[in-house]
Amino acid sequence: MMSTNMVPILDLNPLPAPYWVFKVLLLVTFFLHLLAMNAMLGGAVLAVMAHFTGKDRTHGNRVFLDVAKKIPSLLPATVTLGIAPLLFLQVIYGQFFYTSSVIMAWPWFSVLVMLTIAYYGFYYVSYRGGKDPGRAGWVMLVSTLLVTFIGFIYSNNMTLSMDPNHWAAKYFAHPNGLNLNLSEPTLFPRYLHFFVAAIAVGGLLLVFMALANWKRDNDYARRLLYFGGKTFTFATMAQFVVGILFLMALPREMIMLFMGGSPLASGLMLFSIVASGIAIMVMSKAVRTGNIKVAAVQVPAIIAIVIAAMVVMRDILRDAYLKPYFHPEQFTVKTQWTVLPLFLLLFVAGVVLWIVMMRRFFKAKSVSAS
Amino acid sequence: MNYPVWDLSVGAGLLIAIVAILHVFVSHFAVGSGLFLVVTERKARRDNDPALLGWVKKHTKFFVLVSVVFGAISGVGIWFTIGLISPQATSNLIHIYVWGWAIEWVFFFLEITAGLLYLYGWDKLEPKLHMWFGWVYFWNAWLSLVVINGIITFMLTSGNWGKDQQFWTGFFNPTYFPSLLFRTAIALALAGVYALITASVLKDTALKARIVRWAAAWTIPALIVLPAIGWWYIKRIPADIWANARGPMPTATTYAGLAVLLIGAALLLALVTVLMPKRMNLAVSLLLLLISLGAMGSFEMVRESLRKPYVISNYLYSNSLYSATLPGDGGFSEDEVSANGALKSAHWVVNKEITPANELDAGHEVFRVECQSCHTQNAYRGIRKLIAQRQWDEAKIEAMTGGLNFMHNGVMPAFAGTDQERVALAKYLSSLEPITTEATNASVDGATVFARNCAMCHQVTPADPLFTNLVRDPAAAADALQSLPALFPVMPDLKLTAQQRAAVVQWINAQRGPGGPAYSAQAANTEGAK
Repeated sequence: MMSTNMVPILDLNPLPAPYWVFKVLLLVTFFLHLLAMNAMLGGAVLAVMAHFTGKDRTHGNRVFLDVAKKIPSLLPATVTLGIAPLLFLQVIYGQFFYTSSVIMAWPWFSVLVMLTIAYYGFYYVSYRGGKDPGRAGWVMLVSTLLVTFIGFIYSNNMTLSMDPNHWAAKYFAHPNGLNLNLSEPTLFPRYLHFFVAAIAVGGLLLVFMALANWKRDNDYARRLLYFGGKTFTFATMAQFVVGILFLMALPREMIMLFMGGSPLASGLMLFSIVASGIAIMVMSKAVRTGNIKVAAVQVPAIIAIVIAAMVVMRDILRDAYLKPYFHPEQFTVKTQWTVLPLFLLLFVAGVVLWIVMMRRFFKAKSVSAS
Repeated sequence: MNYPVWDLSVGAGLLIAIVAILHVFVSHFAVGSGLFLVVTERKARRDNDPALLGWVKKHTKFFVLVSVVFGAISGVGIWFTIGLISPQATSNLIHIYVWGWAIEWVFFFLEITAGLLYLYGWDKLEPKLHMWFGWVYFWNAWLSLVVINGIITFMLTSGNWGKDQQFWTGFFNPTYFPSLLFRTAIALALAGVYALITASVLKDTALKARIVRWAAAWTIPALIVLPAIGWWYIKRIPADIWANARGPMPTATTYAGLAVLLIGAALLLALVTVLMPKRMNLAVSLLLLLISLGAMGSFEMVRESLRKPYVISNYLYSNSLYSATLPGDGGFSEDEVSANGALKSAHWVVNKEITPANELDAGHEVFRVECQSCHTQNAYRGIRKLIAQRQWDEAKIEAMTGGLNFMHNGVMPAFAGTDQERVALAKYLSSLEPITTEATNASVDGATVFARNCAMCHQVTPADPLFTNLVRDPAAAADALQSLPALFPVMPDLKLTAQQRAAVVQWINAQRGPGGPAYSAQAANTEGAK
């Protein structure tokens, strides 16, 4: 059936700033979203693991509850940091994103329902987990499965949005929105790539918690470092296999992008592989020697840079997929000079206020309020 | 047409209404509670009232669980839903107002952070610092309303934006300030209404009475000023839009009346609660919550009804067609689609040409791209039921679809497409609820004939052309009704039987009275007309 002419035309309002401004904002905010999302999802998965595996139940439950208590803060961070990239995505890739969303409307809409249930589940575990850890474990499992599945739906939508050739067949088969993108060969490896990354970052979350407990309860902290560090190491090693599967699942011309076709893409991939390898070695040594500072500072720093590189690689891949349909030159630009500076000003002020809030909160000495 | 249409059997309008009303009901509470919590905390600390302080702490938890969780997710939910239901409108709004949304996001991020730290800070922070977080929360929550209000009101009254297409022209549009004040008052009232829920279950009756009285009294000033602000709001809406909002179907005026009634009921209940705070219990507090939800929902429905047939006023129709041909519109204006054909213009249809073999399928696709943003087959604003009520056969449907924009005071855009497409649409709609011509012609009671054939466009008022222009002589009038397009070219060719024409003329003359004023007030009331 029809292919390129299925891509909706742009609406007639110009971009209110140059294209690159939105691209930068999209990538930067998506990077921040990924950090929070990885910590939330990975943390939730590790909390479930701590609850259901291991022989030392007392320790397992303690880790479970400690991690679970972080989720009600990490989830709103994920959501609020997710809004911005979703906004900027719509500004420049709206034609593709809205269409794929409508084609898989029900799964996409169900994200809201699942997220709400998962969110309340996480709060339940956070507030009631200590009183009834048995039930809390199951609630945590359900909530974690829900957010895991939400990620899968996102992967479906993002891959479908890049593939206008398959839109018509899916839409006309089920115009009621009951579609996914399961026929996409890269879907599962791509999703797995994200999921395993989340597990690795979840491991880093445990390492941070080890750092916070290092002086207060060193024995517990060392066990957290061990669990978190090992998880990070294994997950990142697994990523080499998953990454290769993902790469091999891509169309040939996309593979070539990472094999020298695009110097930037190839360089970033090489860098990511090497940096991840270094992170694995550094973390292994830090776990062995109990060097919490290295585990909680150096490794996360390397991984943050790797994630940033991944965000750029993902963007290069998207633009390669959309090349036949999407040309940034298609946008007319009329910068809203009366609003853009206001946004930048408020953004900077917002960041300052956010830092002030964090400092005031965490520097405050505990008092009893009531 | 530019985007695929989500074939949502329950109704796109219903889904967005549910998501939006639930969200605003919680998000306004989230804004107002920021002020309520911090003011109540200050009162408790100033009065050295640990019991009250203990309740504020508990209420904060309830507040976070409702607002930070459900409020935030349902807010994203509105965005998801409008993208699914009106992608064309969403795309336009995003391009016009992305910086507005980006600014709102900054406030929202700070609001969520401050809200959580306010909750976590109860056992950790010095009172002054704790209240500082409360204030940071409140101001950011309110500022996010200040921003989003500009975009919502732009959709209703775009003002002079059409002339200069400037961000601020559309943002500070005619209804911006009344809406901001209205929503702020709603937010304040809802803070008290929600507080009554957690207060009503307190076991300590003396404490409960104190808090219930405080929370109920908190709602009263806002509830008192709401109708006045509402009046100002209505005054800022272009007079012709408001005048057209009246009439028998559930229109803006119906919802406005309901909103005033429910606000009155809430006020009454709040006053009784102040006088008898000990009588408050969970059931009564939930009743007040439901009344408030009804009032809030009615207000939103007023706005939604007034906006019709547009989704962005004077710019984009509900069915995603531009109301005027503009450079770069891609052929998706009403006029262009009428000239080129809906099926040829639409990207997301299978049948580009109509043949006898595919006519029904093509008609279904025309329905999907033109009508389904508001109508369904069997559910919300279901076409089948509408046809059954009016007993329209295929010919009548075809005739009526020629004047959609005249129906019900212009809540619908005109049909955009070729005559052949309209015929196919009529065939499809008729297939949903087949009515024979005999059944269509069976009604011979004047009032029924009027209701089924005339009432969608004509009002029972002295000013309506039907009452001012139709000759009084029964025979001549019945004769004139034989060819409606000859009377007035935009009228549909309805082909009423002689018996029906005679009956409806008799009924019309009865409304006018013999030789007296051309209008009967009694009929106007019973028909719910202007």
